[in-house]
Amino acid sequence: MDESTKRLRSLDFFMGTSFALIGLYVVFEGYTTFVSPALVTVEKSVNPGVTMLFIGGFLALLGVVLALIGMRGSGNPFLKATEVIPETIRKKSFMRGLLAMACIGVYFFVFWDRIPYVLSTFVFLAGMMLLFKGGAWWKIFLVSGVTVAIIWYVFGVLAMIPLP
Amino acid sequence: MSFEQILSEVLKTLNIEFIALIGIGTFIGLIVGALPGLTTTMGIALLTGITFKFSGHSAIALLMGLYVGGVSGGSLSAILIGIPGTPANASSTLDGFPLAMRGQGAQAIFIARAASVIGTVFGIFCLAFFTPILTNLALKFTSSEFCLLGLFGVLISGTLTGADLPMKGWIAGIFGLAIGMIGMDELTAWHRLTFGSPQLIGGVPFIPIMIGFFGIPQVIESLMSEQDVLVAVLDKTRIKLAEIFRHWWVAIRAGLVGVGIGIIPGVGEDVASWVSYGVAKKASKHPEEYGKGSLEGLIAAETADNSCIGGAIIPLLSLGIPGSPPAAVLLGAFLIHGVRPGPMLSFEFPAFTYQAVSWLLVATLFMFVLSVLIARPMQKILQIKNAILMPIVAVLCAIGSFSLDLRFIDIVLVFLAGLIGLVFRKGKYPPAPLVLGIILGPLVDTNFRRALKASNGDFSIFLTRPVALALLISIILLILGQLGVFSAIRSKLKRNKQVDALGTNSSKE
Repeated sequence: MDESTKRLRSLDFFMGTSFALIGLYVVFEGYTTFVSPALVTVEKSVNPGVTMLFIGGFLALLGVVLALIGMRGSGNPFLKATEVIPETIRKKSFMRGLLAMACIGVYFFVFWDRIPYVLSTFVFLAGMMLLFKGGAWWKIFLVSGVTVAIIWYVFGVLAMIPLP
Repeated sequence: MSFEQILSEVLKTLNIEFIALIGIGTFIGLIVGALPGLTTTMGIALLTGITFKFSGHSAIALLMGLYVGGVSGGSLSAILIGIPGTPANASSTLDGFPLAMRGQGAQAIFIARAASVIGTVFGIFCLAFFTPILTNLALKFTSSEFCLLGLFGVLISGTLTGADLPMKGWIAGIFGLAIGMIGMDELTAWHRLTFGSPQLIGGVPFIPIMIGFFGIPQVIESLMSEQDVLVAVLDKTRIKLAEIFRHWWVAIRAGLVGVGIGIIPGVGEDVASWVSYGVAKKASKHPEEYGKGSLEGLIAAETADNSCIGGAIIPLLSLGIPGSPPAAVLLGAFLIHGVRPGPMLSFEFPAFTYQAVSWLLVATLFMFVLSVLIARPMQKILQIKNAILMPIVAVLCAIGSFSLDLRFIDIVLVFLAGLIGLVFRKGKYPPAPLVLGIILGPLVDTNFRRALKASNGDFSIFLTRPVALALLISIILLILGQLGVFSAIRSKLKRNKQVDALGTNSSKE
């Protein structure tokens, strides 16, 4: 087994475990629903917890199997993770991805609803294009301005959507 | 409904307004499809937000135009820059780009377009022919069949799209089913998996989840690399239309493969084009030319992904189960615009299938003309840097999802779905089963419990009806097959035979 497959299997171990936990949570929710006193008058076969028990159980089972495959395939998933994580963090592409995610996060959670839409979108577009070296500053400002104007016209005027 | 009535209903939705909207949809689709990073699924999801205020049928016509344009548009970038615009066109890159680099780009684009037209029209005719048949069959289905059909759809989609391990496809699908159960239960009004949030009582909104799941990871991954694209220059050589007729059998076979795969729930155009490419290569007299600029390979890939459109809409209209990820988003748009696909559609909107057929045919015509016209300007558009394009996509993701219900929670969901999408990409989990799972979650859940209620909680209801039993056996065989049970049995039998043979020989001696 080559190194990249071993790394993937290490990720499979952690994701399999996560899915197993999610599945167990769904089973737990399904069980609490199934035995809830509020649903005592509802027929057991129609109880909303029934499907949750099956779906959650199936997900947990598949998660466990995947985690086992991951454990067997990677050798030691924890050891592999300690190798992979620092290596990934050092990569330039990872930092660029993180920066992109941070920009989107700021636009979604900080700008949205706090700063007028047209202004916040212009700042986000121009800022992100400048950060990722989209070209000359005047081109970036022009593209950002035109994009904001089109979005404002299509969504705000034509589709009559109240922009935040 | 008589033929005249159907015809008059079809003509009502083929006026100038509809034709213009289909044309706009196809044009947007071609651009969305051609730009690497923007997929047809994402395009439909984003445009659904804009069409929110349109009348139901006109919005659907526009989105169908986008579907046709999007699947075809991807081949433009596949041929010109060697990067498929959408996953459906990945196999077109193998022969399209070498042809363009050899100075036959114009010929390759024209042949790809002609193959797309053949494929789309073939799929549309299958749609017109098979939808009423399947609808009539589906009217005989009960809850047990619908529940197992949904589950089978999710599992087969997971099996066929899970490139690394089929199990990852199943996990994606079952995880999707769990997400689909979030919200108020249809039968008892009980709130499930809402984490106490009143905004989740109505369920997880499908379109924002799709926008986030497909859009945000693409934005982030595109910005992670700093690569520039190499654009092939289009030649001015004479285009030989006869080439497509020389390979007519390849096109027909690819059309059949595309429709067949399209009908399978949640598999879609990318699998169809790869399977068709593989089949064509295997059957070809010149397999060594594949991957080096074979017109046959290009025709096989382009015909199959386009015929898959019609194939994917067949189960969508007749069963309410989408055949591909774009068809799944289309289903979400249908529901927003008051059209509930499934067997009852033939009663609520008796002419809808034929209206859809006419819209798709108009879109095909637009697709052919527009894609040939925009091929040269596209050379410039494809040079747009990711650093310019991707922030715009992020803005569209936000406003597209917000415009549906004007709720901030949808923006949060876009971000969360984006993170899940990123993790899925890194872990090589296929997106199609997740999409299908989310959309089929309520169908599987309610029909499972309805079936149990009808049988007073007796599970034998899934064994006593022939279609349900066939589906259940298929599910069991599918799981056992993928777990390697059959190959283990086969090898054990082979080993036993060898041991027996050895025993017989030694006793003879």
